[in-house]
Amino acid sequence: MRKRITAAAGLAALALATTACAGGGASTPKSDSGSSGKAGGSGTELAVPTGPVTITFEEAMTIGTLKPAMDKLVSDFQAKYPNITVKLQGDPDYGTMYTKEKAEVQAGNAPTIGQAYESWASYFQAAGKLVPISELAGTDSPAEMSTFYKGIQADMKLPDGKTWMWPFNKSVLILFANADLLAKDGQSAPKTWDDYASVMKAVSTNGVTGSTIDPGSATGATFGTQWFEILAKANGAGLYDADGTPHLTDPGVVKALQYMKDLKDANALATGKNYPGETALGAQKGVFDISSAAGYGFENKTVGGKFKLDITALPTGPSGAVNELTGTNIVMFSSATADQKAAAWAFMKFITSPAEQAQWASTSGYLPVTSQALSDPVMQAFVAKNPYETAAVSELDTAFALPGFSWIFKCQGFESTAIQEALENGKQPADALNAAQSGCAAAKAQG
Amino acid sequence: MTATTDAATAVAAPPGSARRRRPARDFRATRWGWAYSAPAVLVFLAFVIIPTGYTFYVSLWKWNALNPALSKFKGLGNYTRLFQANQPTFLSSLWHSLYFTGAMVIGGTAISLALALLLQRGGALLNGTRVALFLPHATPVIATSMIWTWIFNYKFGLADWILHSLHLPTSQWLQSSSSAMPAVVIYSLWHEVGFTTVVFLGGLATLSNELSEAARVDGCSGWQEFWHVTWHQLKPVTVFVVAITAITSLQAFTQFYQLASGGPAYATTTLSYLVYQEAFLFSDTGYGAALAVVLFAITVFFTLVRRRTAANGESHALV
Amino acid sequence: MAGGSRAGRWARRALAAAIGLAFVFPFYWTVVISLGHPGEFSNFPPLLVPHWDWSNWSRAWHSAPWVRLFANTILIASCTMALCLVTSLLAGFAFGVLRFPGRKVLTLVVLSVLMMPGTVLIIPDYVLANDLHLLNTYWIQIIPWGASVFGIFLVRQFFLTMPSEILDAAALDGASRLRFLRSIGVPMVRPALVIIAINVFLGSWNSFLWPVIMTSSNMESSSTVQPVEVGLSTFANAEGTDFPGLAAAVTFTTLPVMVFFLLLQRQFIRGALSAAGGVRG
Repeated sequence: MRKRITAAAGLAALALATTACAGGGASTPKSDSGSSGKAGGSGTELAVPTGPVTITFEEAMTIGTLKPAMDKLVSDFQAKYPNITVKLQGDPDYGTMYTKEKAEVQAGNAPTIGQAYESWASYFQAAGKLVPISELAGTDSPAEMSTFYKGIQADMKLPDGKTWMWPFNKSVLILFANADLLAKDGQSAPKTWDDYASVMKAVSTNGVTGSTIDPGSATGATFGTQWFEILAKANGAGLYDADGTPHLTDPGVVKALQYMKDLKDANALATGKNYPGETALGAQKGVFDISSAAGYGFENKTVGGKFKLDITALPTGPSGAVNELTGTNIVMFSSATADQKAAAWAFMKFITSPAEQAQWASTSGYLPVTSQALSDPVMQAFVAKNPYETAAVSELDTAFALPGFSWIFKCQGFESTAIQEALENGKQPADALNAAQSGCAAAKAQG
Repeated sequence: MTATTDAATAVAAPPGSARRRRPARDFRATRWGWAYSAPAVLVFLAFVIIPTGYTFYVSLWKWNALNPALSKFKGLGNYTRLFQANQPTFLSSLWHSLYFTGAMVIGGTAISLALALLLQRGGALLNGTRVALFLPHATPVIATSMIWTWIFNYKFGLADWILHSLHLPTSQWLQSSSSAMPAVVIYSLWHEVGFTTVVFLGGLATLSNELSEAARVDGCSGWQEFWHVTWHQLKPVTVFVVAITAITSLQAFTQFYQLASGGPAYATTTLSYLVYQEAFLFSDTGYGAALAVVLFAITVFFTLVRRRTAANGESHALV
Repeated sequence: MAGGSRAGRWARRALAAAIGLAFVFPFYWTVVISLGHPGEFSNFPPLLVPHWDWSNWSRAWHSAPWVRLFANTILIASCTMALCLVTSLLAGFAFGVLRFPGRKVLTLVVLSVLMMPGTVLIIPDYVLANDLHLLNTYWIQIIPWGASVFGIFLVRQFFLTMPSEILDAAALDGASRLRFLRSIGVPMVRPALVIIAINVFLGSWNSFLWPVIMTSSNMESSSTVQPVEVGLSTFANAEGTDFPGLAAAVTFTTLPVMVFFLLLQRQFIRGALSAAGGVRG
């Protein structure tokens, strides 16, 4: 009998635990303090704390050149502020990171700051779990912000017009090419997307495929998805309104998918998974790869000196040069203590200072978020060795980002599926995009 | 006596004569039964059953996981949405789950039985092959599926290179809706059959030789002998292999996550991947919960049907 | 089925050898890639002989505290296995032998556990683990996996096939149930325990999402409680994959398991063999 009673008590305790999780933020009384998001801010900036503080940073800079670059940021910061300890919480990939951040927030166990895509930030913000920048800087547009590239500045805001994010690992897409294969076929680097198509078709002989892309999946956009979005925008399509209304059946969007389908049908474009373009380039079975500027270190290693690697800015379309931002921002979670907020704010400002940006960009391959970093000797040495950097950085002023709604993620999944349907399953681009449009509209309606 | 595993039958009067029943029942009947099962049940209660109850509850809401106060009650809204969904449809995901499970159960059982017949009573070389078969099973799915992503690389992966060298048509593997699921099945078979082969080998080792001898004396061909004698005796082992393969296949997740991410165009979106996609990646907790509840209901339904249809006394299934 | 002609025997060996080679070929190729020059993994036709370039190994080796991660994996897998054996034995005995009120209900409850897709449970479990202060511990990687429906039903199966005379004799001897379980039950169901041990150990070694979510630490830390699988998953990220590094890490983390298995394969396979022999309806 006693056994039963203890069991019942255990059950009750567990039920309590579940109630606590149903109650969500109950264990974090501070959790809603940020939700009001005082638009103007208090006018006073948080002062760097003088006592010992530990902040945690959920990040994914765990491999290759990214890890040393991240470690350097932290050690430089801790050298300057010995009382502040930055604990990195590394995650293997972004899908896992999102899951983890959500679990942590839900359990009232959020890190102080974390990497986040715009759509994630929107999800956290809607639940009142983020601290707005105005609460840290005293103003919605702190002085540092005006030194950032225009595209970066726009990317720091959510659709409510307020600044909720601080830039971190930002990049744009660039074009990697096998210069030897191009020269052999008497081709030169393409200037427009029309050029690109004709060069791709011209070089696709003898087992060589112009380029191999990862079209993404229903659960995650990739550079292939972003290339499609860039093509659509370069054709003058709107893609998404500021309020998120999708225009996936616009003529420019259909044209972009048709463009990809034509290349595929001409055997000049293939699809793959897990950085297939990089692999094909390295195997000398692909001529081009469209990838993030931050992928430079990986591309270089794969090429391994087998041929001359050419790196240029993306070709242009009827609407001129169009590029899309890649990478994430930093958000601060509202469960942070006052000291942690102040310390993390100092950290965020520190890593976007010109000298640190120069270090970071030249080690990691991500782009500096402020042009002031370009005059740093470290950065100048890097640019001298990697001339593509100038062109890539110049696109940060105009590069777009999709509107920051949590469900935009689903819409990108529908785009990826449409690409797969058109390229792999022989669906007509217009039909495939119709399905994507209705799926996305439904996702928007559900919110 | 044929013991069945059906709970219902097992609860019925224990076999044995009336004379023996008394001491046996004394030994068997005890309230301490609860205590014996308590450790396992408590673990399940805490980490599965209560969260499952929570999942049922959540499935009735447009649930805001981060801030439940903002959740909206939707009644059966998530369920109606589930059956209206067309990207992907619920039925297609169910079909993919059954496709994968069916392929693994049929393919895995047939292949491992064949391999076991090939490798039984062998010398050093055949023993070496047993080890070779088992090795994939002893390596983590997360690591080997990354390697296989490369092997399946369209055109210049290892698999296509081999096909090409043999002058066979190459495949798009994970890149085409029609070949993606077979590619995942191939990987999973590579990873799983080592274990089931060893189980079959165990079954074969206990077969009675006399029956085979007798069959041969009776003039049975090798095939007839296999069919009437070996296979018949192996039935319990086969049922065991089928059950364990079905369970692991229905729950399989990592290889879908790593190899195909549910694509291309939802071709490898199984129910367990769909649950992950909706509940985790899309943060649609209520909807994901509704999916889980339906998946739960389907499994319960199949189990009940199986129990009903299992011939009396012929049920060898573990579950 | 045995024997056949001399030619038949050789054909059988040749076929077996070919199949064995096909199964280990992906491993061989992984080793080759890990020992190639960094760019060579993408060569076409594929690289098939190692170039003995150890740079991938040293890079991969320094990317995580592998010895610690490996020790964690072994610890977690062994404890999970031990716990699972105990819970399966006790519950299997209860369901297979004992009679008590509510047993039928309890059996169904345990069965239903099998039917819940694991992925949906992770977030509620995370919240629970946080409330119990179990995050970032070995416990959260052990306890929730310390009971297995499969294990319980396998043990129960063995007990159901036990002749009731044995029970009667035990009852007449006046043996306590625990003593009966220890002295007669355990030897009887040993094959089942072996198969459960193998299965649980490998299952633990195969878990991925669970440890990634339930533990957090940077790979620097020498106090990490994360297992090897988490270390392996860090070779791919948003910007690219360090494929040769991954190949190296897969090689040196799998190698000890392979050696272990080769050394113990006789016992291992014999255990599985006898268990399979015992699975009779």
